[in-house]
Amino acid sequence: MKILLAEDDFASRKFMDKQLSRYGECDVMVDGEEAVDAFLMALEDDEPYDLACLDVMMPVMDGYQVLKAIRDIEAQRGIPRSKGVKVIMTTALNDERNVKMAFELGCEAYAGKPIDVEKFEKVLNKLGLI
Amino acid sequence: MAEEFNTESMLDMFLYESGQLLEKLEGIILEKQDADCFDDSDINEIFRVMHTIKGSSGVLMYENITKVTHKLEDVFYYLRESHPDDVPHTELVEKVLAVSDFVTGELDKLKSGDTPDGDEHQLVEDLDEFLGRLKGEISKQGIQMPQANKHEEPKQFYITPVAGDDSHFYRISIHYRSDTQMSNIRAYSATYALKEIAEDLLYTPDDILSNEASGDVILAEGFHMLLQTKSNKEEVIGLIDSSEAEEINFDELTKMEYGKALGEFGREDAVTIDLGDEKKPEEKEKKKDKPAPGDYVVKTKEAGKGKTLAKNQPKQQSIISVNVEKMDALMDLIGELVIAEAVVLQNPDLKVPGLELSNFQKASGQLAKITTELQEVIMSMRMMPLTTVFQKMKRIVFDVSRKLDKDIELEVIGENTEVDKNIIEHITDPLMHLVRNSVDHGIEENAEDRTSLGKPAKGKITLEAKNEGGKVYISVKDDGKGLNKEKLYQKAMDKGLIDNKLISEFTDKEIFRFITLPGFSTKEEVTEYSGRGVGMDVVVKNIQSIGGRLDIESVEFEGSEMTLIIPLTLAIINGIVVQVGNSPFVIETASIKEFVRVDEDSLIHEPSGEEYIVLRGECYPFIRLNERYDLPDSINKIEEGIVVVLEHEGSQVCVLIDKLLQEQEIVVKPIPPYVKKVKGLSGCTQLGDGSIALILDIAGLLIQDGERR
Repeated sequence: MKILLAEDDFASRKFMDKQLSRYGECDVMVDGEEAVDAFLMALEDDEPYDLACLDVMMPVMDGYQVLKAIRDIEAQRGIPRSKGVKVIMTTALNDERNVKMAFELGCEAYAGKPIDVEKFEKVLNKLGLI
Repeated sequence: MAEEFNTESMLDMFLYESGQLLEKLEGIILEKQDADCFDDSDINEIFRVMHTIKGSSGVLMYENITKVTHKLEDVFYYLRESHPDDVPHTELVEKVLAVSDFVTGELDKLKSGDTPDGDEHQLVEDLDEFLGRLKGEISKQGIQMPQANKHEEPKQFYITPVAGDDSHFYRISIHYRSDTQMSNIRAYSATYALKEIAEDLLYTPDDILSNEASGDVILAEGFHMLLQTKSNKEEVIGLIDSSEAEEINFDELTKMEYGKALGEFGREDAVTIDLGDEKKPEEKEKKKDKPAPGDYVVKTKEAGKGKTLAKNQPKQQSIISVNVEKMDALMDLIGELVIAEAVVLQNPDLKVPGLELSNFQKASGQLAKITTELQEVIMSMRMMPLTTVFQKMKRIVFDVSRKLDKDIELEVIGENTEVDKNIIEHITDPLMHLVRNSVDHGIEENAEDRTSLGKPAKGKITLEAKNEGGKVYISVKDDGKGLNKEKLYQKAMDKGLIDNKLISEFTDKEIFRFITLPGFSTKEEVTEYSGRGVGMDVVVKNIQSIGGRLDIESVEFEGSEMTLIIPLTLAIINGIVVQVGNSPFVIETASIKEFVRVDEDSLIHEPSGEEYIVLRGECYPFIRLNERYDLPDSINKIEEGIVVVLEHEGSQVCVLIDKLLQEQEIVVKPIPPYVKKVKGLSGCTQLGDGSIALILDIAGLLIQDGERR
């Protein structure tokens, strides 16, 4: 599986990279814009990502903007939601309004930090990724 | 990087919403428990409650809750769609309550930070079996079977953060020796070491790496850090390199203080409470607080600085619900303010003769008025109606009376009476005991026993609350068999709980109070609900701990009434300041019966050293406070001092004091934990001149006195 990880904090990045590499090839981005670029590039190459893990607080574009951009691009290219990339937000912003907003923007899961690895895996399972 | 915002987390929201829904559910169920069936709107409502909880627990991945609520939702789906007759109503009620109990239990686990790991299998099986019968009934009655209830698996998930130990908050200040080279680099390595364990770290000066001049600032003013971490103090200290440090100050802070300190460090998410603009909170909230994509873009990091958001978080929030901790803190502060006010107004400097103080008096009058109002406002903010407590009692009456197969009706009066939140917490358990006792021991076992006495077959329990003269009265009254004085007396004698006295020497109230003695239980057999003899004395202890008392009235064959009498609020009492030797003491005004001067002649000396005072033919135990607490320079001759007669729950004790000082509002503060618990003292307070006065605990004095004799 192809995974996109966007995370600007070094420690979290390292941790997530380690975790996710177990499931597949993981590309690591350090800000929101890079993440969108990488996503587009993968689409162009016809090797789209299966999973995107997005931090929220990042330079240039925040995770919500990236999420919105990804879903907009998919809509524009006629990719149905079921075929689109699965998005998991990973952030310490756990208040209800932020979570609801992310759901409305179209993420599959919202993982509060520190991340519960066991549940994370369960979700990957439920999303049909592993 | 943990950024704390003053908003409720997803989990809090789930707990709150589900709690509310379950409460509503219990309300419906208990209201309709005696009806023949639920009506359409109830069925719809229960269905909706289950559906909502199922949905949100699915998103949060609490699978056992999802399964159970899912099943019950199914049951109500069939009820809603095909309206079968002959639904076993009581069984259904029990099923709903079982589910509600299960979910409440799991929510409680979540609240205390545990994993909800309750086993749902039995419950799901029961519900399946019930549903099977229900379906059978539906087809028997020839109603068309509705299409199976379609369930949508949740498509979106919320992964709750790992629950860990509570965070600690520290303020660390490092002062380096004045000849330290490159103190800024040292400071940076300290922050670097802490970053490993920090959930949040803030320091000042904050430009230590980019600005070389910061080294001088650090040398002059010290280097200050605020740290939020799960590690304990030792671990943190171990990480800091102390080689060149002259002094390291290390304070553990509470979350509140940490919030305040963040403000001093210039952070914007420091605690702000905005109570203004009450008119349109929703509108304001929408405008200001609704997050949007793009709110969380992080500015390019400047070296050495923490992350800051490009768009500043809105500083103002209109908060409707306030954290209890903050309320407690505010309450404490107001208590301090009252003390500070006394310190100013009764300052010894003002006692210089010949001072012109008329303007000062005017101003102080104004100040006193405002502090009193402030006290009243905070008190009223902490008031909560007893509704939820009484709701629980309804459930208990329902459960216990069904288990014991008694027909009992519960009348509730004054459930809107408001009392301090702390008090609600303290009375729930005692009240539960009392209600259980009434159902179990109060109401007769057989309806025939009742009808033969000319009482209606259905037992009645009345739960009443009222507010009177600064006290709350909560009574549990039943029309059952009442207390039998001879039996109580005999029992107390057999168990050796009372002195060898004739029954006629006790008043009715004294006899009734036997049931509150530890180890007393009149019921021959122990039932599941009561009769273990640990109930009533615990009730009394709990009530006493909040300064209340229990009053028992009973007429045999007609019923009993147990009344809890509790002060409206705990923190501020009206007290009289007295002096013994050089030490001031405070006695709560309500417990003082009288002040008298007594002659040496009225004293009785026992050979064992105890003393008694005879006043108007009555004999009271006598305690010399100066001897009890080893106070020098005090009056020892009884004629020269003042004897105070104190009363608590009908027992009296006399104490000898030197003189009376004044009467005033006393802010009760607990005795700090580093002082060993002293018997007979319940707390302390600060007086106007800044000295500390100890508050006498009458109940404690009496108990101690009893033990000594």
